Amino acid sequence: MEGSNNFVIRTEGLSKSFKGTKALDGLNLQVPKNSIFGFLGPNGAGKSTTIKLLLGLIQPSAGKATVFGYDITRDSVAVRRRVGYLAQDPRYYEHMTARQTLCYTARFFYRGPKEMIETRAEEMLELAGLADKADRPIKGFSGGERQRLGIAQAQINYPDLLILDEPAASLDPMGRHDVLEVMERLRKYTTIFYSTHILEDVQRVSDTVAILNHGQLIAEAPIQQLLSGDGGSTVYTLTFKGDVGPAQHRVASQPWVQKISVVAHEGHITWQVGVTDAEAAEDQLLRLILEDRGVRVKSFERKTYNLEEVFLTMIEGSK
Amino acid sequence: MATNSTLDRNAILAARQALQPVREGGWLGGFGNLFGKEMGEWLRTRRWLWQTIIWLAIINGLIAFIIFLIPAIDPSQAAPESGNPPLDVMALTLFFFFAVIFGSIGMVILAQDEVIQEKQSGTAAWILSKPVSRPAFILAKLLSNAVGGLIFIVALPALVIVGEVYLAAQHGVPILPFLMGLGAVLLTIYFYLCLTVMLGVLFQQRGPVLGITFGVILGGLTTINFVPQIAFVLPVQMHQISFALAQGQPLPPPAIYEIVSTAILSLLFIVVALWRFEREEF
Repeated sequence: MEGSNNFVIRTEGLSKSFKGTKALDGLNLQVPKNSIFGFLGPNGAGKSTTIKLLLGLIQPSAGKATVFGYDITRDSVAVRRRVGYLAQDPRYYEHMTARQTLCYTARFFYRGPKEMIETRAEEMLELAGLADKADRPIKGFSGGERQRLGIAQAQINYPDLLILDEPAASLDPMGRHDVLEVMERLRKYTTIFYSTHILEDVQRVSDTVAILNHGQLIAEAPIQQLLSGDGGSTVYTLTFKGDVGPAQHRVASQPWVQKISVVAHEGHITWQVGVTDAEAAEDQLLRLILEDRGVRVKSFERKTYNLEEVFLTMIEGSK
Repeated sequence: MATNSTLDRNAILAARQALQPVREGGWLGGFGNLFGKEMGEWLRTRRWLWQTIIWLAIINGLIAFIIFLIPAIDPSQAAPESGNPPLDVMALTLFFFFAVIFGSIGMVILAQDEVIQEKQSGTAAWILSKPVSRPAFILAKLLSNAVGGLIFIVALPALVIVGEVYLAAQHGVPILPFLMGLGAVLLTIYFYLCLTVMLGVLFQQRGPVLGITFGVILGGLTTINFVPQIAFVLPVQMHQISFALAQGQPLPPPAIYEIVSTAILSLLFIVVALWRFEREEF
């Protein structure tokens, strides 16, 4: 069974309550195929709950969801056959070695000669940089090594969808860099749905982002769209010299202008102009200002936000 | 992460072509792999060695002490006029008592962590994020422990007791009745295996699991003196029933009820464990 379109995950009103407390409240989400989908939110926002629902580890209180067109409740095993999953705090059998763990995992997906299963495990050990620790019991592994093993076991079945719950949370900067690199490399083969609170990572690798707070979805958009706007409007930053009083009056009277913030500093004046129509702004804004011959424009650019600004603004706005 | 692969790319490609996707689904999805891993815990670790030593020491070692060493120290104990039963009868009586009582306690200890530890450590959630059905997870635990119990708690000591009886009395044991007696022992330890696994599914801590199971074993042995009707429901006299079967003696009517009830309750425990585990949230 395959989804009828290009969305790998679809949820409709997906909800989960624990003893009367809503952990997830009517989530409507669509994750496009071959995207790196960043799932953001503060602690307790419902990110892990969503992931566990998708994997059938917990049951929804209301709503429904499909992964590859399979219902997450009725066809959970079929969903898990095509998914690779890395838990937030991955746990394995401590007495097993990394190689044994990967062979064991592989046999849930494949049958075949033992040496072929081992070759598959070896391939993953190399990918995760664990080849030299392959035969050590996991109980001696560091947090970073466990995370690497987690990524290796999540990919053992060449999954069509990789679900990663905080994949870089316990890693040092080098480990984080490696994980992001692997994610970028896998983009052309698989869809990656991952939760994180490391906004810098999201900005670097994600192409689509959803922000969750108090169990509710507060934004879902391609990352460029999210970074280019502030609550739905576009902002342009202009710096000038000269008397811009008449120009400000002309600009403020335009129907596509929402607001103008003015800051004067060391003889320069900086405007931040919020607009509802970016095309009209790019076509007319400079012309309106330059009607006054005494005004000299030093800079004009569309403001881009970093994800942290967007995230904090949205989280604050949703309170 | 490694970028320079030392693996032979041809080997990787060959592996990809040789491996067939597992298509089995349904309520036994993943059972083969789970059962293989669980049996590996018994046979590919040192558990088999420890279990062999423990059970031979507890059952056969104690019996050897009683039927060989004590008469050697005090020959009057083995004389017919001592009033003690013949050595072969004494050996079999002790064997079925130890196998039922110690075997039940041992099975509870072996199985008490099977589900709870996996729930607490998070390995159950990891396994269940793979294409594995929940019934398969529980049934693999039950079957592997059933096989382990059969080999180490029942079969090995039974083989040794046959030798001990032969050494003590210069004759063997009647095979068919003896096997029927062993069947009753197995039924008892499987009852406690099913009970322990069910309680492991129902509870999140070991305390209630151990408390209830040991309560049934030890409480049953004492309660039978005050409430004999308990023998109609719980396997509290199974050591006597198994011995009687091994001796070819006719069974009193309550024994039949006890055997049937033990079997039915064991199945009920499995059904409850499967039903509840299906609803467990991780």
